[in-house]
Amino acid sequence: MKRLLAFGLAFGLVVAGCGGGGLGGGGGLKIGMVTDIGQLEDKSFNEFSWKGVQDGASAVGGSAKNIVTKDIADYKQNIQSFVDQKYDVIVTVGFLIGTDTLAAAKANPGIQFFGVDQFIPDPIPANYQGLLFNEAQAGYLAGIVAGTITKSSKIGAVGGREDVPPVVNYIKGYENAAKSVKPGVQVLVNYVGDFNAPDKGEASAKTMIGQGADVVFQVAGLTGAGVLRAACNAKIWGIGVDVDQYQSLPDAKACIVTSAEKRLQNATRDAIKRFKDKGKQSGNFTNDATNDGIGYSPIRNLNPVPAGLEDKLKQAIADMKSGKLKPVP
Amino acid sequence: MIRLRSVARELWQVASIPLLAIVLAFIVAAVVVVISSTFTSTGFDVFLPFGAYASLLAGAFGSGTALSNTLVAAAPLILGGLAVGLGFKAGLFNIGVAGQFLVGAFASAVVGSSLATSPTPVGMPLAVVAGAVAGAAFGFIPGFLKARTGAHEVVTTIMLNNAAVLLLTWAVNDLVRAPGFSFPRTGDIGNSALPILLGRNVHLGIPLAVLTVFAVRWVLDRTTIGFEIRTVGQNPNAARYAGMRPVFITALTMTLSGLLAGLAGAIQMLGVIGFYAPGITASVGFDSIAVALLGRSDPIGILFAAILFGAFRAGAPLMQIETSVPIEVIDIIQALVILFLAADLIVRRVFRVRAAKPVISELATVTQTWAGGTSPAEPS
Repeated sequence: MKRLLAFGLAFGLVVAGCGGGGLGGGGGLKIGMVTDIGQLEDKSFNEFSWKGVQDGASAVGGSAKNIVTKDIADYKQNIQSFVDQKYDVIVTVGFLIGTDTLAAAKANPGIQFFGVDQFIPDPIPANYQGLLFNEAQAGYLAGIVAGTITKSSKIGAVGGREDVPPVVNYIKGYENAAKSVKPGVQVLVNYVGDFNAPDKGEASAKTMIGQGADVVFQVAGLTGAGVLRAACNAKIWGIGVDVDQYQSLPDAKACIVTSAEKRLQNATRDAIKRFKDKGKQSGNFTNDATNDGIGYSPIRNLNPVPAGLEDKLKQAIADMKSGKLKPVP
Repeated sequence: MIRLRSVARELWQVASIPLLAIVLAFIVAAVVVVISSTFTSTGFDVFLPFGAYASLLAGAFGSGTALSNTLVAAAPLILGGLAVGLGFKAGLFNIGVAGQFLVGAFASAVVGSSLATSPTPVGMPLAVVAGAVAGAAFGFIPGFLKARTGAHEVVTTIMLNNAAVLLLTWAVNDLVRAPGFSFPRTGDIGNSALPILLGRNVHLGIPLAVLTVFAVRWVLDRTTIGFEIRTVGQNPNAARYAGMRPVFITALTMTLSGLLAGLAGAIQMLGVIGFYAPGITASVGFDSIAVALLGRSDPIGILFAAILFGAFRAGAPLMQIETSVPIEVIDIIQALVILFLAADLIVRRVFRVRAAKPVISELATVTQTWAGGTSPAEPS
């Protein structure tokens, strides 16, 4: 018993002695990021947004810290923790945290807020900017790939829900691009109505494969894991979405050709630079080809890569940059 | 003075193993943190755990706002812990708190948003009651199945957790989706939100949760139903022989357990989250099991265990900001606490304590009901 007390006391003293530390980062902007629910190293939204925040912090000579969210109930407090620590910029990730970010932006006009994947309805506070992406352009790049590699002249796309505009934009861009590189190509499109049902995605993709499709593009969140599984099982090509799914979805490594990417890392980095250079940022900012906000992941699994494919993609990006090419007229 | 000392000794007998399990969990987690620091950019750091724990402590108790964050995080855990603890008292292992919590949260979000413009004294209580009733209804299902058919509640509640998630995802997508949002969710709760009593976030649900602790204690210790619940938990056959109704008590206990879990969901929804959307996670559900085990199913014990787990949640952000130690360390500590409770021999060896009670009875429930314990539906 005595030994125990002594031990506890010693432990307590050491802890107390080390308290008050944890300062650091020196001067410069203090930038905090609150993740979406899940892990930091998710090879998806959290990870790439965080890399961008770190890049941005070092570009403007600031320091960056993150808080990982485990439960939706923690959003408010995680944001507030950065507010209490007097951070200058707070980046939040994912649409689900949008409501709490908007409330925090209204309550703290002195702090700049950025919301990855958050569309902000009017009226938008002067210190809150949503970081959105031109999905149609990214989908267009995926469509070029699909139109070029298809042998059956039939390709497919599986969407989550038809009433979610970004999903529709991706698929429209994809469809138009495929038709531009291969006139007469048939594009099978199905919206399964669900972002969390891999089994439905797999069933939908199987139907398309049965109809002769030899490339499928998934724009359906978790449902898409089933789409790519079906593609791999049938030994046809799959195209991922949002991030490089060759990395984020190891199960589908064998058949992913590329992914239609939102360049999250560039988006958060540039947002921080914009704030440093021009002050408070507001509105909904669209990342697109002009600012390297969208793109395609490295081409994989094609051996050899069809002649001219990379050139076509580079040309399309250049044309989208100059405004000559509109993926969805 | 002598009396005081004997009370202290009695307290130590009850609380020594849980407290020492916590201490041991912190020590082992510290080792994990030190080892993991070698893989980071800052490199090997022996003092990292001390800094991390200091920030954790500061974030949980270091200021008024820290303290209120701890209370806000503890409130749903108190109710969830009571839900699991009540089940243990009757010899039932309710793993379905996660599902009952979500159903309660959803019901209060729907009722709350439809009464968003009514005055708070009308909308708020109705929304809270809706959550509790929905949770009770969802708890009744496994209770009824166990009482009538003997279907094991562990199996049915695990299944029903998944059923709840999928059912509610469908309901938000297709039944109650609020217009004007880019993703499916319920409408704003407006006036139905629980009033803020103190500071930034101390809401009415916190005193409600604490009051419930004493209400449950009173029911268990001072009422006939409570006596029956405890008796059925200790020996259903003896209870039946004494003229009690194990079948009825089983169904009733699961329903009450669901009610408490639903209430937890309601206060979390109306006091913190504010809307229901697919993808909402119920970490409260599983943390509640740990809280009930740590509190040894005693309502007062659960109160303290919930405050401890709430402190972990509240302190984690500051720990991450100041020391970059990831939040997963909290999960490790919580898991270790339960591990050391289950393997209390380790704790007693390390600290050389002789505990009066050889086993923690709640853990006996967890392991024994599974291994062919008596079922109340057994034909007599």
